[in-house]
Amino acid sequence: MTFLRATLSILLSLTSVSWAAEPDVIPALDTTDPAALQEATRVLEEEIKLASRPRTYMLIDLAANAILIKGRGVELHRIPIENWSASHLAQHMTAYRLRERPPVNRRKIDPVAVTEQEPISLADMPTTFTLQFSPPLRILVLSNTDGNPWQWTMQRGRAWWCRLRSWGNILWTGDKAPSPPSLDLTVSLDHAQSLAWTVTEGMPFLIRRPTTQ
Amino acid sequence: MKRVLLSLCSGLMGLFLITLVQSSGLPISNASNTRSAAVDPALLHTLQVRYKTLAKQLTQLMPTQPYILVDTARNHLYIKRQDQVMLDALASTGSGTILDKPGDSKGQWIFDTPRGEFTVQSRLTNPVWVKPDWAFIEEGLEVPKSQADRLEPGVLGEYALGFGKGYFIHGTLYTRLLGKNVTHGCIRLNDDDLKSVYRHAKVGTPIMIF
Repeated sequence: MTFLRATLSILLSLTSVSWAAEPDVIPALDTTDPAALQEATRVLEEEIKLASRPRTYMLIDLAANAILIKGRGVELHRIPIENWSASHLAQHMTAYRLRERPPVNRRKIDPVAVTEQEPISLADMPTTFTLQFSPPLRILVLSNTDGNPWQWTMQRGRAWWCRLRSWGNILWTGDKAPSPPSLDLTVSLDHAQSLAWTVTEGMPFLIRRPTTQ
Repeated sequence: MKRVLLSLCSGLMGLFLITLVQSSGLPISNASNTRSAAVDPALLHTLQVRYKTLAKQLTQLMPTQPYILVDTARNHLYIKRQDQVMLDALASTGSGTILDKPGDSKGQWIFDTPRGEFTVQSRLTNPVWVKPDWAFIEEGLEVPKSQADRLEPGVLGEYALGFGKGYFIHGTLYTRLLGKNVTHGCIRLNDDDLKSVYRHAKVGTPIMIF
């Protein structure tokens, strides 16, 4: 039996899969780590379903610390993640659909007004916002507040408020159902606004979880 | 009473500690966080083959011909072929403003450039703008009854590429506004860039807008 195992190992190593010609479809992947490969194949299986349809989607790659806007498998835009924390992420393995965009203060055109209405721009987008998904997932997007203690306090307050509300809900209703997965992402201020701009209602999101610390 | 307060305090303390762990950046999930010491070569090989097959499948879905990419946040239009950027052009995209529909208390136009994947559906030379209702309403004018009164030649440039629901990539007289979100949803380019896009794009060329 041991002999057979050894022979099999040698044969497998001789016929080892060649990676050189393959494009880097999953960045920062250790192809000798079974757990990383398992996670990458899970993401790929979901991504192939999304990329087969004519629509853009998001891949939150926690292993590569990046949010990727993709279409047909092509990376259209990349947003670096500065920091993140997650809970209960393993509850669902499918794609999440965004319920609604973050609120945008749109200007209304007044036909009788003499002055033209200013269009909306990236600067009008929120820098801290929550995205809710179906199946249940909450993503809290925070922007980097380096050098601005007021903003830091506001953001932490908002994050705490989100948590307190969910705990309060559990305590109040006595709901023993498992907490929905949640993810807190910190990106730069510009990138937070860019993300708020890009997401659309019903947009599918995939999450690649890291498998090593 | 004291006991209730004590249990409440300890509960809050526990929640605080959980939050501290969560905000430390460590992944809290059922996924394995440590790599097993002994890796089964047969399992690893199976996983590698599966990964390679899926990676190939995804690669096959990627466009091999040139495609148009539009970044509405930064107002840029690119023509790309795989990783190669063939054109990087300053554009103008949707303003995001809204206009109420007269006589319809709930109806309104939202002037966004649509996001997602589209294809070039038509290629026009010397296009004539057929002004829609909103173009008159936003200027405080009466909507004309005759179709002939809606025609406005010479404002869309030499070419226009339609990508559905009345949206076009076209030229502009207001080149100083390129790089800004000022349109009613169409994508404007200067004359030279428009010519390049027209040359590269065929009916069916993918347009990805984000």
